[in-house]
Amino acid sequence: MIASVRFASAGLCFALAACSHSSLVLLPDEGGGHGSVAVLESNGKPVDAVVSQPDSRTRLGSGTPTPQPLGKAGLNPNQLALLSGLPPPPRSFTLYFVEGTTDLTEQSRPVLEHLRAEIARRPGVDVEVTGHTDTTGSAADNDALSQRRAEQILDLLASVGIDRSLMTAVGRGERELRQPTLDNVSNELNRRVEVTVR
Amino acid sequence: MLRQMLMIAAIAFATSPAHAEIARIKSSAGTAMVERGGGRMPATPGLRLSPGDKLVTGKNGRISLSFIDNTRFSVGPNSRIAVSQFAYDRTRQRGQFVTQVDRGSLAIVSGQIAKSDRDAMKVRTPSSLLGVRGTRFIVEVPK
Repeated sequence: MIASVRFASAGLCFALAACSHSSLVLLPDEGGGHGSVAVLESNGKPVDAVVSQPDSRTRLGSGTPTPQPLGKAGLNPNQLALLSGLPPPPRSFTLYFVEGTTDLTEQSRPVLEHLRAEIARRPGVDVEVTGHTDTTGSAADNDALSQRRAEQILDLLASVGIDRSLMTAVGRGERELRQPTLDNVSNELNRRVEVTVR
Repeated sequence: MLRQMLMIAAIAFATSPAHAEIARIKSSAGTAMVERGGGRMPATPGLRLSPGDKLVTGKNGRISLSFIDNTRFSVGPNSRIAVSQFAYDRTRQRGQFVTQVDRGSLAIVSGQIAKSDRDAMKVRTPSSLLGVRGTRFIVEVPK
């Protein structure tokens, strides 16, 4: 009798993939491809195992981590609900300015309207305004310049009605060139502000 | 490595106000709370999180949130999850991020911190410590 109860619960456990053990389900990335998750410790002991098989389930805390394919059954309802509950990916908008000013270029004006619409349709929204420079001048000066530019644009966005409390300004300096160049090259594609809506 | 971590911590400290915002609640349903210090508040959309905050849900509870490094969380029912450590340098896009899943379920899409250094983002369960290497995954810790 006891044996048959055990058997039944083991069967249920397998079918629902929701046992009394902790588990890790590794999924493909949203844009295709997949990453991995390392198991660094198990029950207080160091482990050296990497789970890198997408669509797999790995039981945690019991011996060597061994990923099992999710197979035909796929994800259970709770797992599907978790994934559909994720916030949408952040969306970025790039604004360009007339050189030496904070005036938007003609082409960048419609972007402002798209930005406004995106902010309006996200609950609990926050907005990151990130300044980028080209490679003219020192890296430290460009950090300061990009921060200042981001703050100016934050002010500009506030002046056209975007709630200031949603926004933060960040300067990335010359770390993230849109168009790779050598050092000390003036480049208008690299002098830009990216606005990320989360 | 230690020096690097101290540097990140020092920068985060120097540039952050007392209650540094690390994430915002995007949506919630059912019994969904944030615990901070000794207090509890409803996890309403727009609520800003600080390091150390705990996400707690009841049997119909759900919470979704996004972090300032673009990491995204979806918390399932009957969960208790702490953001034990979060330090992020926005200029360099590097940091340290430790989440503790005491019970329940959590879907994660990792962001910039997981990309910045190997195992800069970790997830702790009662039995295991995981190192996140840029990916989408679910951790489940039944009662």
